[in-house]
This record gives sequence, C-alpha cells and structure tokens, in this order.
Amino acid sequence: MKYLGHIFSHLRKDLRLEWRSKDAINGMLFFALLVVVVFAIAFDPTGFPSTTRQISGGILWVALLFASVTALNQSWTRELRNQVLEAHRMSPAPASALFLGKALANLLFVLVVEAVLAPIFVVFFNLHVLGNAWLFALILPLGTWAIVVNGTFFAALGLRTRNRELLLPLILLPVSLPALLMMVQASTGVLTGDLDLIQIRTWITQLAGYDIIYTTVCILLFETVLNAE
Amino acid sequence: MTWHTFFDFSTMASRHLVFVYTGVWLLQGGYLAWIAWNWRKAKSLSPRD
Amino acid sequence: MSRSSTVRNAAWLWFIATIAVLVVGFRQAIFLVPTEETMGNLQRIFYYHLPHAILGLIFPYVNVVASLAFLYWRRRDPLKALTADALAVASAEVTVLYVGICLASGMLWGKPAWGIWWAWDARLTTELLLWLLYVSYLLLRRFSPTGQTGTLAAVLSVFAAIDVPIVYMSIQWWRTQHPAPVFGPNGGGVDPRFYPAIFWNIAGWLMWGTFVMLFRFALERRRQLAEQDAALLAIEASLETPQ
Repeated sequence: MKYLGHIFSHLRKDLRLEWRSKDAINGMLFFALLVVVVFAIAFDPTGFPSTTRQISGGILWVALLFASVTALNQSWTRELRNQVLEAHRMSPAPASALFLGKALANLLFVLVVEAVLAPIFVVFFNLHVLGNAWLFALILPLGTWAIVVNGTFFAALGLRTRNRELLLPLILLPVSLPALLMMVQASTGVLTGDLDLIQIRTWITQLAGYDIIYTTVCILLFETVLNAE
Repeated sequence: MTWHTFFDFSTMASRHLVFVYTGVWLLQGGYLAWIAWNWRKAKSLSPRD
Repeated sequence: MSRSSTVRNAAWLWFIATIAVLVVGFRQAIFLVPTEETMGNLQRIFYYHLPHAILGLIFPYVNVVASLAFLYWRRRDPLKALTADALAVASAEVTVLYVGICLASGMLWGKPAWGIWWAWDARLTTELLLWLLYVSYLLLRRFSPTGQTGTLAAVLSVFAAIDVPIVYMSIQWWRTQHPAPVFGPNGGGVDPRFYPAIFWNIAGWLMWGTFVMLFRFALERRRQLAEQDAALLAIEASLETPQ
C-alpha cells in the first residue's frame, strides 16, 4: 500500500504543477488541433468521404502521438531544476513509483486532450462511426498508455543527452510502431465497421498485451536509468 | 554467365545485379576500411605506447 | 607479447580465409550455378541477399546478450561490463549494416522482378522496423553523455529485443487480416542445383561478419583502454602537484 501511496504523491505533485501553469495541456491541445487541420488540408475530407473514414483512425493517432511527444520531454525537465532529480535518487522511495506517478500524470493529460479533440475530429472529418463507438472507451486509454508509458521512460532516458528534444521521437517511434499498428487497426475497424468484433477484439487484446509487457519492463528498468551515472 | 554478360548494362535487371554486387562490396569494404582507419588512429591516441 | 601476436596472426589467417571463401562464393554465384528459368540472371542477387538476411537476424541476439551482460556486470565487475559494452556496439553496427544491405538488395531485386521498389508486406515491414530499431540504438549511443552511454544503450537494447517478436506477431496478423501481394520468393524449396552458391556465400558472409564484428570490438576495446590510460595519467599528474 505504501507503494501505491508513493505513486499517488508523485501523481498529485505532477498534477498540481501542471494545474498551476497548464503549459503542457494547452500546448498539446493546440498542437493536436493544428495537426488535424494540417491533415485536413493534406487529404481533403470533403472531397473523399469514404477514404476519409478509412484514414481517420490513422490521423487521430498520429496527431496524438506527435502531441504527446511535445509534452513528454518537458514533463521531466521540471525535475532538473533545483536538483530535484538528485533528491529523488537519494530518497528511499522506490524509483519506479516516481516513474509510474509521472506516467499516470502524462496519461491523464493526454486523455484530457483526447476528450477535447475527439468531438472536434468528428466535426472536421464529418465522421459517422459505423462500428460500435463504445469500443473507443477501451481503445483510447490502452493506446494512449502504450504511447505514454514508453514515452515517459524514453524521455527520462534522454534527460541528460544533448539534443534531448530530437532524441525522444527517434527512439520512441521505432519501439512504438507495433502499438501504433494495433491502435490504428482497432480504431479504423470500429470507424469503418469493416472488421468484425472478433478481429477488433484481437487487436485490442494485442494492445493490452503490449501495455502489460512494456509497463513491466519500464518499471523494472527505471531504477537503472535513474542511476545511470 | 561470363564476365562479359555480367557487365552488360542494357537491361534494368542486369544493371541491378551489378549494383547489388558492387554495392555490397563497397558497403562492407567501406565499413572495414573505416574500422581499420580508426584502428590506426587509436594506436596513436594511446599515451603510454 | 606473444599472446597479442598469436591473436593478430589468427586474425590475418581468418581474414585471408574469408576472402578466399567469398571469392569462391562469387564464382559459384555468377559463373558456375545455372541460370534460373523464370527470373534469369537477376535471380543471382539472391546469393548475396539471403546471407545478409539470415545473418541480419543473428547479430541482434549478440547485441542483446552483450547488453544484458553489461547490465549484470555494471555494478559487480565494471571492467567486464566495459568489454560487454564494446561487444554490444560492435554487434549493433554490424546488424545495421547487414539488415540495411538486405533491404537495399531486396529493393534492387524487386524493381526489375515485380515492378515495384517496395511493398508493405509482412516480411519487408518487419525487416524495416528491425533496421529502424538498431539505427535508433546507434543514435542514442551517439547522443548520450559519456559515462552513461553503456547503461542507456543497454536499456534500449532490452526494449528493442522485446519489440522484435511483438513486431513480428502484430505485422503477421495485420497481413493475415489485410492480405497484400507478397514481395519476394514465395516459400517453396530451393533447387538443389543452387546449393553450392548459397552455401559458399552464407559461409563467406558469416566469416566476414564475425571478422568485422570482432575487429570493431577490438577497436572499441583499444579506445576504452586508451581512455583508461589517459584517466590514470591525469590522476597521477594531479597527485604529483605540489600541495
């Protein structure tokens, strides 16, 4: 229970810091909106309605992926000021609790962005969900966690590298590609109604498996990364 | 095949065959050369010997 | 020292043997083995493509094992860890080289044979993702601060190793659901007449890959030892400074 308590304190700390400045959420929201508009210019939803439905699953996740990457880096930079990171390292609390607290905070931020973005997306792309829209309640959190858990970990990995902002997408994207495939296939399956329930469920199960595997790996290896010197 | 037909550049297929073989030698040989060059450089870096 | 000259002699011997095997392989592939019926002489690309494809799937394992060894020895025996790190970087570079050559030769083969440079089928996509993973590994090594390189790279290597089966599975399932034309030779056996070329080239490129990886490993070790010597000299110099 103490472990959960640690996670909770880290989570509360990040939420409080974010609430005061609201930097990450505002930045992410506007960035995701801009990406959606860019894709609309690039692919013309009005001209090609059925193609739009085919690709909108992919566009949604690409927009969220890029928006998350912009916020993930600076989620760790607040730990660099005032030698907070050294304090974390010296504290007896397990390092993985720090990681999970921060990852959960990032998850909440991105979910807020998604909640705002989804209606805008439906409006801009004139989306009419042909499958079971309630499945999104499963796909969105699982997919977001897949991006956020690895993203938070790699942002910590690259914390003291030069070119930190450049490095994060370079190491995050290759590892996340299978998860991206799973989220996009599941989302497109629901949006177009092309895939039957069993196939969508398989993608969702694979995504859940990816989440479990990588959450475990991140928890086990975070201590090593925190004490990399 | 003969050397003559190997270096025939008239069709895309035969051109690509030559590209692959020479490309592989260049890339692999280039990597080996890079290692060898750095090997010589590293020798001069060592302060003791 | 007699030990290092033995190693040096063995290395030269291995290198000469490798070149000999590669020459035999080239001769087999281009001059001796019969031309294939459907694709003609273009099919001879296969004799360089296949060894690189197979070996490109083996070197990543060396990298993972070396990275795990590094993480294990990091606090227990730092000198052994350093050796493991040298092997990790050597095997990663050779992986990128071999997988890259596999992709490039495959593309050069595909264009005349099937009319397209690329297809997002299961095999090619998986291979490309493997290449991207190890390029990202090398980039992390380049960008990381000295002292942390080994640890950070080893961690990423573990992630990459876990990712490879996940990539394979998910992309297979994707292409089962949405079948696409398969790029490349479709299963089936290889005609026994082609065996000599395949055998000699696999042997030759395996010997070459091992040689190059160990040479790169030796280079990394030389750099590490030079760094250690320099650090030791700096410490000694600081001790001699009068108080």
